[in-house]
Amino acid sequence: MTENEKEILVSKIILHAVLPVIKVLLEDHPTFRKRFENIKGTVQFIAKNGDENIGAYVKFDNLNFETAPEILEKPDITFKFSSLKKMNDFFTGKLVLPKIKGWKNFSLLWRIFSVLLALKLLMPDAKPKNTLEKKLKVKLTLYMVSTALSQLNKAGDPDMVKWTSQQPERIYQWSVDNEDIACWLKVKAGQTKSGRGMYTLRKPFIHMRFPNIDSALPVLTNSVETVQAMAQGLVIIEGSPEYAGKLGDFMLKIADLLT
Amino acid sequence: MSPEGGLTWTVYDADNMTQAEIYGFVLSELGKTNPKIVGLSADLAKSTKIGKFGEKFPDRFFNFGIAEQNMFGVAAGLAKAGLLPFVSTFSVFASMRAVEFLRTDICYQNLNVKVIATHGGTSFGSAGTTHHSIEDLSIIRAIPNIQLIVPADSVETALAVQACLEVQGPVYIRIGRGFEPRVYQTDQYGFKIGKAVEMKPGTDLTIIACGAVVYHAVEAANILEREDGISARVLNMHTIKPIDTEAIMKAVTETRRIITFEDHNYIGGLGSAVGEIIAESGKGCAFTRVGLPDQYTPHGYPEDLMHYYKIDTDGIIEKVRELLGKEFEKEENWEDEY
Repeated sequence: MTENEKEILVSKIILHAVLPVIKVLLEDHPTFRKRFENIKGTVQFIAKNGDENIGAYVKFDNLNFETAPEILEKPDITFKFSSLKKMNDFFTGKLVLPKIKGWKNFSLLWRIFSVLLALKLLMPDAKPKNTLEKKLKVKLTLYMVSTALSQLNKAGDPDMVKWTSQQPERIYQWSVDNEDIACWLKVKAGQTKSGRGMYTLRKPFIHMRFPNIDSALPVLTNSVETVQAMAQGLVIIEGSPEYAGKLGDFMLKIADLLT
Repeated sequence: MSPEGGLTWTVYDADNMTQAEIYGFVLSELGKTNPKIVGLSADLAKSTKIGKFGEKFPDRFFNFGIAEQNMFGVAAGLAKAGLLPFVSTFSVFASMRAVEFLRTDICYQNLNVKVIATHGGTSFGSAGTTHHSIEDLSIIRAIPNIQLIVPADSVETALAVQACLEVQGPVYIRIGRGFEPRVYQTDQYGFKIGKAVEMKPGTDLTIIACGAVVYHAVEAANILEREDGISARVLNMHTIKPIDTEAIMKAVTETRRIITFEDHNYIGGLGSAVGEIIAESGKGCAFTRVGLPDQYTPHGYPEDLMHYYKIDTDGIIEKVRELLGKEFEKEENWEDEY
């Protein structure tokens, strides 16, 4: 994989898997709920990659949130990056200054900055300060990772494609007991799809269950080995240990790509 | 029998393996404590092993000669008189030659008669087409009041014979000729009439089998797991009627793919019974029945016939791989959901 191919892969994960979790912030964080009440507007993130532009937009409409990896003609605010690498660095917490168009929408601008800062919770080294942030970190991470895994496959990562193409229809489920945190990845002969909630149409092939938020945090921030985590009861894995191990490898790959 | 499930066995293993041998032994033991048990045979005491009972209790054993219809009629009378008749003959005779007497004399009156039908399916092998019992499950299943059991091996046969004493009414137990591979190493697995046994957990699909095919289903599931990484649940559906609806629906919702295997015409037996439950539930499920095609069987050794009809280990593996290529729900949209 060339450097540029890697940057394309990372950008796909960011645009398809990181931006969508803004929805969770708006739904679950009281501050952000209040902050985005009656706010309308579109924000574009765009980066040059050779002759083409790669980007996505986010749209706020009074707590309704929408995002798509498409380029709008007239967004209210545009964050423009001179390269994919710079956009990727920006979203992974490195110091990058994009060109910003739409300063006159200052009200929306400071709000989107606050959201982007909050997304730093996704970084493994980000320490949540309170119960709310702990829960958000777990939820954001699981939702991001499940979608990122699907995107890793769709982007053609050779290892992931090899792994998914050899499987019949299977569900990989993550959930935290007694919390509204659950997401899944559907795999079928090389195709993948992620979704939120418990998959009810069939029993998961692998179900990665966390007994509570505190047990999920060290596992999802990679501060404890999976085997050790299982031994300590931090995570309960129902299903094939071999496939769970491989899934864990891909989750680590996502973490590596985003740090 | 080799532990790998090959076709090498010796006569010294026979007593341990044969369903009929075990049946004869268990019935003799039950006869000691239950004086109401009587044994009936139509000149097949040795072949069906009920002769073991006859040797122990000669005054409670009756041989009718080659007169199955008469035997079933007399069984009805003995049951009306308060006795507990065990009727043994080949399953082709129990389910067809004598079926009107089974239906009208025994089942219509819901009489307490137990039918032990041996040489089920193609297990009679070289005896040929006329002695291959490939229709009996379908016929018996359609008769009211009677319960239908197809044990997987000798251990389960012993448990079924004991359990059928608790049923107040007719029971048809279909067993093989003998030499069926042993599935269970213990009888402590919770056998209950009407309750399927999960032989192996799994989530990719469910294999449902009955009788001697159960052994092959378990073997196939182990190979599929090892070679293909396929997680196949295996259900031993030893009772075809009343069938375990709960286990079937659990398989529908949890695995969404079901494939049945039976040594019987694919019409009317286990596959049909399972299919009826799935269809009536309205739930989506990829489903395949594997049994004998709707045609008469050729002569051959049972193992060769099972291979020919894809109800042995190799055949089950092949059919499972086919089923996994089928859609249970068409996914038109592979876009991630946020």
